[in-house]
Amino acid sequence: MTTPMPALVLRASEVIGRPVVTLSGELVAEVKDVVFERTGGRIAGFTLRNPGLFSRSRKDSLPWAGVHGLGRDAVIVADEAVFVATKELAPRKKARKADVLQDRVLTDNGRDLGRVVDVVLHGGTRMEVVGYEVEASEALGTAGQRVLIPLPDTVAVSGEHLIVPAAACEFVSDDLAGFGAAVDAFRSRLREGAS
Amino acid sequence: MLFSQARKRPVVNTATANRVARVDSFVVLPGPARVALLRLGKVSGAGTLLSWDDVQGFGPDAVTVATDAVIRPARDVLEQRAEDNDLEIVGKRLLSEQGTELGTVTDVDFDPETGTVTSLITKTDTISGQRLIGLGGYAAVVSA
Repeated sequence: MTTPMPALVLRASEVIGRPVVTLSGELVAEVKDVVFERTGGRIAGFTLRNPGLFSRSRKDSLPWAGVHGLGRDAVIVADEAVFVATKELAPRKKARKADVLQDRVLTDNGRDLGRVVDVVLHGGTRMEVVGYEVEASEALGTAGQRVLIPLPDTVAVSGEHLIVPAAACEFVSDDLAGFGAAVDAFRSRLREGAS
Repeated sequence: MLFSQARKRPVVNTATANRVARVDSFVVLPGPARVALLRLGKVSGAGTLLSWDDVQGFGPDAVTVATDAVIRPARDVLEQRAEDNDLEIVGKRLLSEQGTELGTVTDVDFDPETGTVTSLITKTDTISGQRLIGLGGYAAVVSA
């Protein structure tokens, strides 16, 4: 069975600068940057800065699990108690710097689809990484352009490659508008194949 | 009754029959959404707050109180913020718990019998008061 995905998809980079607001309506921080997990192509969380014009970085961060809602206009948290020390989010400095951006996406039958330039998220209160934006390689026929590649529920990540099923090539989109539907179609294809 | 209709209503002391203040605005608290306090203007003393529980009647022509003593200053941090107008709901940004902005609160509908907030009104939408989760300095947050 496929669960329909509402159109609330956004790029991880779009979250940078968004206000972090508690459920009680207080502005507590702004998103400074996105921290990726070294394995799995997932997001570990967000580093923070204080809100305002001359904002300063903070030593605490927002872990992915502490996000209540993720939208175009704000990141919602229950309260400030969900924040953790940044070093808990990314224990080694190396891990913080080396994220999935710049990695190559490879299909499971060995085609290089391109270099990851951004991560596509499904927002709202049901949040997950649903795709990558890549600078397309020759394999996609749109070489040099940025395209969106849907992800299955789980992704294998090595040091430098993100492996996706070959069928992902058939569900590539040019823009976010139709991408939610493409992810749904791709995943339902994978499920049919598996059964 | 809308906040916009109920503002500027005189507050009358029923013991002395004197007009003692004027309703300036409403302090809404969530869970469940209700008018918790009235912010008053044209008061004689130092305080400008009136608890909803101390309101005798919220009528079409006047708000009545039994004594002037119920008009008081803020008792805690939350009330101080309310008195400073930091928690004023009208004009506040409205956010869904999913992080999407739904507009600005332009008016609020409430039940003058109970103080229950029945709906939040924006330029394009009317949202049930039951959906109000939080109201802070930055936004009013509503459930999806």
